[in-house]
Amino acid sequence: MARSAKKKTSTKLIALSATNKAYEFKKPLEKRFKYQGKEVDVRLHEDPKGFSYIVWKNKKYMLDVIEKKQNRYTIMVNGVWHSFTVETPVSLKRKRYLEKQADSSAGVTIEAPMPGKIIDIMVEEGGEVKEGEPIIILEAMKMQNEINSHITGIVQKVSVKKGESVMKDDALIEIKKA
Amino acid sequence: MKIKSLLIANRGEIAIRIIRTTRKMGIRSFVIKTAKEPNAWYLEEADEIIDFSEDFDDIIPEFLDIERIIKSAKKRNIDAIHPGYGFLAENPDFARRCEEEKITFIGPSHDAIYRMGHKTIAKELAREHGVPLLGGSPGAVRDAEEARKIANKIGYPVILKAAAGGGGRGMRVVEKEKNIERMFTLATNEAAKAFNNPDVFLERFVREPRHIEFQILADQHGNVVHLGERECSVQRKHQKLLEESPSPALTPALRKKMGEAAINIAKSVNYYSAGTVEFLLDSDNSFSFMEMNTRIQVEHPVTEMVTGIDLIEQMILIAEGEKLPFTQKEIKLNGWAIEWRINAEDVQSGFSPSLGTIEKISWPESENIRVDTGVRDGSVITPYYDSMIAKLIVYGDTREKAMQLSSQAIRKFWIKGTKTTLAFCRAVLQNSNFRKGNFNTSFLSKELKIHYHNEPDDALLAAFFATYDYAREINENEEKPLHTENGKAITPWVLKKRLR
Repeated sequence: MARSAKKKTSTKLIALSATNKAYEFKKPLEKRFKYQGKEVDVRLHEDPKGFSYIVWKNKKYMLDVIEKKQNRYTIMVNGVWHSFTVETPVSLKRKRYLEKQADSSAGVTIEAPMPGKIIDIMVEEGGEVKEGEPIIILEAMKMQNEINSHITGIVQKVSVKKGESVMKDDALIEIKKA
Repeated sequence: MKIKSLLIANRGEIAIRIIRTTRKMGIRSFVIKTAKEPNAWYLEEADEIIDFSEDFDDIIPEFLDIERIIKSAKKRNIDAIHPGYGFLAENPDFARRCEEEKITFIGPSHDAIYRMGHKTIAKELAREHGVPLLGGSPGAVRDAEEARKIANKIGYPVILKAAAGGGGRGMRVVEKEKNIERMFTLATNEAAKAFNNPDVFLERFVREPRHIEFQILADQHGNVVHLGERECSVQRKHQKLLEESPSPALTPALRKKMGEAAINIAKSVNYYSAGTVEFLLDSDNSFSFMEMNTRIQVEHPVTEMVTGIDLIEQMILIAEGEKLPFTQKEIKLNGWAIEWRINAEDVQSGFSPSLGTIEKISWPESENIRVDTGVRDGSVITPYYDSMIAKLIVYGDTREKAMQLSSQAIRKFWIKGTKTTLAFCRAVLQNSNFRKGNFNTSFLSKELKIHYHNEPDDALLAAFFATYDYAREINENEEKPLHTENGKAITPWVLKKRLR
């Protein structure tokens, strides 16, 4: 315990949002951080039913960890989710460096937003696709859902077949940005 | 004939809702257990369970297996079957088989279901009875080419609808001629899959109408009344997201006119039981008949709140042959009720389903708050059924008061474990045009730009919580390994389920 207590006080962490906004917390376990130039205490509670919440400016903010994989977090606050990667100052530096080095020509993978069955594939490898165009029809929860491309480019790879069942986050199509 | 036992051929919140009434009436309730949800809450609420869970049949899902349901009911001498909504609720063959086997079907006659379920026959009946209609194809559209011809004649946009459909499935709006072939295929595929009937018809698409429906009650002695309207205009892809009664758009005179049209529709098929007549209301207050739903609706609670009438009880009494205990004059709409559908959906990713385990659920209790739900702590939202978690129904003397209490109730409605539409509900309540009652079916696409409500420091607090959780885990990791899966600690609920 003594060892971890010591470690507690020395961890500075950064939550990096999906839009690349960095939120820095010097000592998160101490439940204090700088807000508008002032050090403020965060009142983090767990109610008897097991819900976590923060009292902030006299309002309750319900919190829930929806997903976490290693340092990737999805946190729900009052019903709205936010994605972050939690970084240390060193890992953030490395991440930023790697991003710069990354091959900008890499493809974008379109993943299944939900588990379901592939009803139709509207593109083929080598074909062109425009942003907003339907690429796949995925049947889930009794609805046929159009999965649209969110970028314009060339289809590099089609990873699924018609009639196949897919899990959430399975890669469907890889598109190279035009 | 008094009904002493009743099989509910349904699941989830509606099964529990029906049981609430059977208990009040002293009727023994039976439900069906499936392998897809062997630990569902509705099973515990019922008096008896019929076990269908031994085979996991993907060809005929349990709640669609007419012969198996009938056989099970006969074997146990069950007097009646309530189909709830969805599944077999609007299947004329099921109602007919019940009639043949002398089981009381809690709903209308199979003939009324057939004629109202067949949209083209229903339209013909409406025309004969002087109820206004939209232009379109006279019957089912044969192929994409015919759809193109009719659409070119009446002008775009047009809408393709499953002839046997409902609930927004098998429905596609076509904005331009170049899309008609693709949309025709999508609509017929979906119709075939959902209703076992690929027929679609086509009609003029009114761009920004209100969706208003009237609740009907009719007995087997020719008495028909309406219980006022429900405003269902807030929709996404024809799926209702909230409903209220009454509608801010209706004047007493318009209510009377539309109510009479609804009664005429019901009378055209000698309707009995509870039913709903749907209309499109244009901005000039002209209305057109869309369809009649020959079942209890998901959104029936708002009508119950403003009329004080238990619709399930009335359906059972009507099936027993009782006369309606009230006349049109005696039905009064008091106050205002709003139903918020809380679904396991990711509003931030286009309302895609968000499956998972409801780790915890809790809501504020008050005499003006009603929650109809089929889930409790530990329930699983499966891919087999719809994504509904709960219906939050809020009542107030006025619309303003109902909205005010809604804001409080939504803020205190807590669900841990999955993404939900609660943040959407809050966004709706923040919208000034919604608050003024000034909206139509284009509300989501045009008026509500952001489909969820965010507060200024939400992201900051979320970021803090992520770093806090991460730091805490690093600390704990030094002491003991964590039992995690997908990074989330395995809850006792999940473990309990696995052990079975």
